[in-house]
Amino acid sequence: MSYNYIELISLVLLAIGCFFILSGSLGLIKLPDVFSRIHAAGLIDTLGSGFIVLALIVYSGFSLLSLKLLLIPLFLIFTSPVTGHAIALFAHESGYKPKGKNKK
Amino acid sequence: MAKLNKDSLKTLSFITYFIILFVFWFILSGYLKSLLLFFGLLSVLFVFWMSYRAKALEEDSLPLKIILRLPFYWIWLFKEIFKSGITTTALIWNGKYSPQLISVKASQKNRTGIANYANAITLTPGTVTIEVDKKTFLVHALSKKLSEDLQTDDMNKVITDLDK
Repeated sequence: MSYNYIELISLVLLAIGCFFILSGSLGLIKLPDVFSRIHAAGLIDTLGSGFIVLALIVYSGFSLLSLKLLLIPLFLIFTSPVTGHAIALFAHESGYKPKGKNKK
Repeated sequence: MAKLNKDSLKTLSFITYFIILFVFWFILSGYLKSLLLFFGLLSVLFVFWMSYRAKALEEDSLPLKIILRLPFYWIWLFKEIFKSGITTTALIWNGKYSPQLISVKASQKNRTGIANYANAITLTPGTVTIEVDKKTFLVHALSKKLSEDLQTDDMNKVITDLDK
């Protein structure tokens, strides 16, 4: 019976992860400009991938494999802000103004 | 941590770096045969030499003091990411976003701390660090609430305390 519980938990976590990825993709299309779209991409990077990896860890049980899986979000934590920042900085440097209220 | 002079601190950080690299190699490979462990040791030594040559082992690149606090910090960070992630998701679905630029002051003392803070801001959904100018960040936030959360300075304090 306990096997089924594990499957259920990982299923729920997968669903949450998929929901965040869906929202992020929707945001990528819906939001008005580059800067806002980076937020949506960040949502996919952190929460979407995080929950899916968590679901995989629960599903496979604790072993060396789950440590390997844990390394994926760890690397994303270091790399995804850098890419987001690079895009935002380039857009800013090339004189692209964000839409909406600006107070410096 | 007890007061150590500069050289012994450097040695200690070298040893820690070596151990981290070897543990990393072991997690990725999972082999326990002595021959393969030896090859792992060789590759770890090679990477160590490479990073020494690339001057990646300078004083504040390996923050020994904070290494024990890092797991707690990551748990806290994940909580923050989750909270603002839910806010951002709600904003995307109901369309009530009002993007704005704000400037945020950082009170960290060294470069690692500032990079850490800028990364944490970008990592939490809904806020992106656009420009880092010495100690002020230009931050783009998706809504008023998210920018106000940032201006309460909580994140800044936590990351400054990390380095104490």
